[in-house]
Amino acid sequence: MTVKQQQNKQTIILILPWILTFLVFYLYPLIHALVLSFSKYSTLTNEIKFIGVSNYKYAFTDKIFWKALSNTAFFTFGTVPLTTAISLALAAVLNSKFIQYKNFFRAVYFLPSATSLVVISLIFINLFSKTGYLNFLALIVGLPVSQHGWLLEPNTSMISIMAMDVWMAVGYYMVLFLSGMQSIPNDLYDSARLSGASPLQQLFRITLPLLKPTLLLVLLINTIKSFQVFIEIFVMTKGGPLNSTNTLVYMIYENAFEKADMMGYASALAFILFVILMIFSILQIKFLRTED
Amino acid sequence: MIIKKIIVYIILFIAAASMVFPMFWMLLLSFKSFPEKYSGLYEIIKAPFTSSNYIETLNSDSFGLYFINSIIVALAVTIGNLIFCFFTGYALARRDFRGKSLLIATILGVMIIPSHVIMIPLYRLMVAFDWINSYFALIVPWLVTPFGIFLIRQFILTLPKEIEEAARIDGAGQWKILFKIVAPLSKPALTVLAIYIFLTNWNSFLFPFLFTNESDIRTLAVGLTFYLGKQSIDWGHLMAGASISAIPILILFVIFQKKIIQGLTSGALKE
Repeated sequence: MTVKQQQNKQTIILILPWILTFLVFYLYPLIHALVLSFSKYSTLTNEIKFIGVSNYKYAFTDKIFWKALSNTAFFTFGTVPLTTAISLALAAVLNSKFIQYKNFFRAVYFLPSATSLVVISLIFINLFSKTGYLNFLALIVGLPVSQHGWLLEPNTSMISIMAMDVWMAVGYYMVLFLSGMQSIPNDLYDSARLSGASPLQQLFRITLPLLKPTLLLVLLINTIKSFQVFIEIFVMTKGGPLNSTNTLVYMIYENAFEKADMMGYASALAFILFVILMIFSILQIKFLRTED
Repeated sequence: MIIKKIIVYIILFIAAASMVFPMFWMLLLSFKSFPEKYSGLYEIIKAPFTSSNYIETLNSDSFGLYFINSIIVALAVTIGNLIFCFFTGYALARRDFRGKSLLIATILGVMIIPSHVIMIPLYRLMVAFDWINSYFALIVPWLVTPFGIFLIRQFILTLPKEIEEAARIDGAGQWKILFKIVAPLSKPALTVLAIYIFLTNWNSFLFPFLFTNESDIRTLAVGLTFYLGKQSIDWGHLMAGASISAIPILILFVIFQKKIIQGLTSGALKE
């Protein structure tokens, strides 16, 4: 065998694990999910019956779907701007020259992102509870105290989870912003300083415009991630109380795994989610590109 | 200027304290023995310190097994990724073959598929394979990941080809070149990959939760959620369990802080 033939033989072995993984665990499930979304699946008999677009039609008449969709949108559009603003501000401060122990702060802010979301959710159940730390703090400062606990009242449950999510995510996006900021050449700031620009002017005239690719990335990742919020909902509230924290993915999970015969409907919901995520990606990329 | 500096530092320290506080709170509760029903925060703070929560949790039911399961799953998936992502990443960086661009398209395509879209058919597949409640379901589908392939490919592209060619002229076989020359040179990227995969699989919840329904096979992240009672929650033991699951990561984080941050964020930056 020539070297070339040996190499070709080796190449096949090298790429085979990925090809098998792709076919079995990604492509087949994706096609199967699409088929399921047009079918009625009965859990007991394990039968699949084709029913056309009924699942999709049903979604648009399902009140819980609209509730879950608006909850998800509220969660996403509430947390993403706040997380972005805070992480950007933290990054801007940490990036200034006079700050020492940068790596220490960076690591501490990042810590929640390395911790299991299940563990964090469990801790926050305690912090948000009736006898928890947050009520204690509210009492001291003189703010209204939650009667039954922040997660158990429909009008505070979602906002509580959103607050936790912002707390958890700022460190992660701060690191992304920091690495974006570090790629901006220093002499731009030097010449700005020479011409008398204040730090705030430098932020708005140099840092932010040059940070646009990072900003786009952060908005995109965070929106896509937030629209799929699930684990914190599952652990902390199970969608309750009164569907106040029911989100799209939680609804998909509940229909597929906790109700009988609803896997087809759940798959249709999953594809609706997929389409929404695609639209977001396209919109955000277009929106931030045309601004130049 | 000095006042401004002080204000900025105070803000930074308050933010840092708020990041650490929940973890501190978890540890504090885990070392406290308090009555099953307590009416206020003062009772917790006054309650005596104890280590019995940890001892009882580790000896209870399957908790010891959860820990072992988490280690087995996270290690097996990490080793798999080190080998298979390295294989595919190397092939993409160094070889030309028919269908290469199609292969790259499959990797990029998979990155944009939300896992929640395929969780239902994947679950049905595991049922069909009879893999529910087995390590196979927790390990096999995740042995090679698109992110890992790209990470390795990008890194190998920066290595000079000449070293491999020189070895070839010296008569080294393909596999020897791969394992004895390219792998050691790729150590920085492989380290980032290993830490990233271990961490995400240790913390992984969704699929380990869906693919198990017996207690003995659960991982820590999954097992912990079953400790949430309906009426009253036994916080001492629950927080001891949460600490047992979080402490290994905290230790890893203190040691490999830079690599962990690099690994967890490079997934975003490489796209």
